[in-house]
Amino acid sequence: MDSTTSPQQENDAGGLQVHCFTDVVDELTLHFQIIRLPKQIYAWIGCNSSKMGHLYAAAHTRPSEGVSVSCVLGGSSDNPGAGIARRIVLKSGLNVILASNIPKNSPMIEANAERKMMEKLVQLGYTRPRSEPSSFMINPTAGEIHR
Amino acid sequence: MASIEQHFPVPHRSFSVEIKGNKTDVVISGYNDHILVIATQIGTMGTMLQARKEEGMTSEPTFHVSVIFGKRDEPMLTACARQLIEHMSSSGSARPLVLSLGLKDHSMETLKGVVSSVLENRIW
Repeated sequence: MDSTTSPQQENDAGGLQVHCFTDVVDELTLHFQIIRLPKQIYAWIGCNSSKMGHLYAAAHTRPSEGVSVSCVLGGSSDNPGAGIARRIVLKSGLNVILASNIPKNSPMIEANAERKMMEKLVQLGYTRPRSEPSSFMINPTAGEIHR
Repeated sequence: MASIEQHFPVPHRSFSVEIKGNKTDVVISGYNDHILVIATQIGTMGTMLQARKEEGMTSEPTFHVSVIFGKRDEPMLTACARQLIEHMSSSGSARPLVLSLGLKDHSMETLKGVVSSVLENRIW
């Protein structure tokens, strides 16, 4: 697996930390943008383009240990972005808004992108214990995120 | 004045302003197919709206604004998105807008402050 990472750019002059970086994996260019809000993470994954793609919101649903994902703009539950958002929440304990243009039926791209995103989140120290409360309004019985 | 990051394929601008005594963090990102504006005072993205220009039969452009996540009963938020998409359209940008507003209050003064700060730091 060939992987090169371009120098990341960080700009926290505005109070919100914005991290942008690009990685090339298997001749495929993946762009990543992570914006850290005090109680939430916004992330974008671009696959060979700078299109925003579909938008998903994911968070833990209390009181259960499950994670709910909502397609906010475009997309569906079987799009890669939905799965990545869900697993980022599971692994990191963060509330996540994720935008992604990774095409459907691309499991290797999806896996590589998710792995790089998680590596970066851990490197930045953004992951947190799941015992901390989430900031979303959750309907515990329906398991849905209130829009 | 915030700086524009252009080496990355998605230029963005990140800055902070004070609106009615509340620190407001703003990030504007220019994707190929959307403009994303995040303005937050509460630490989360809050309510998200989509605004886009619609191609019509008349010479006057029409716009469609809708809440895609969060509060659907706050007309000032919709008005804020509409103002921004109208400005974007009049300046020649055809990209739809995704606007995220996490605000402590939805007064006209606050929303006007958000609109003016975004327009002063626009990237389209």
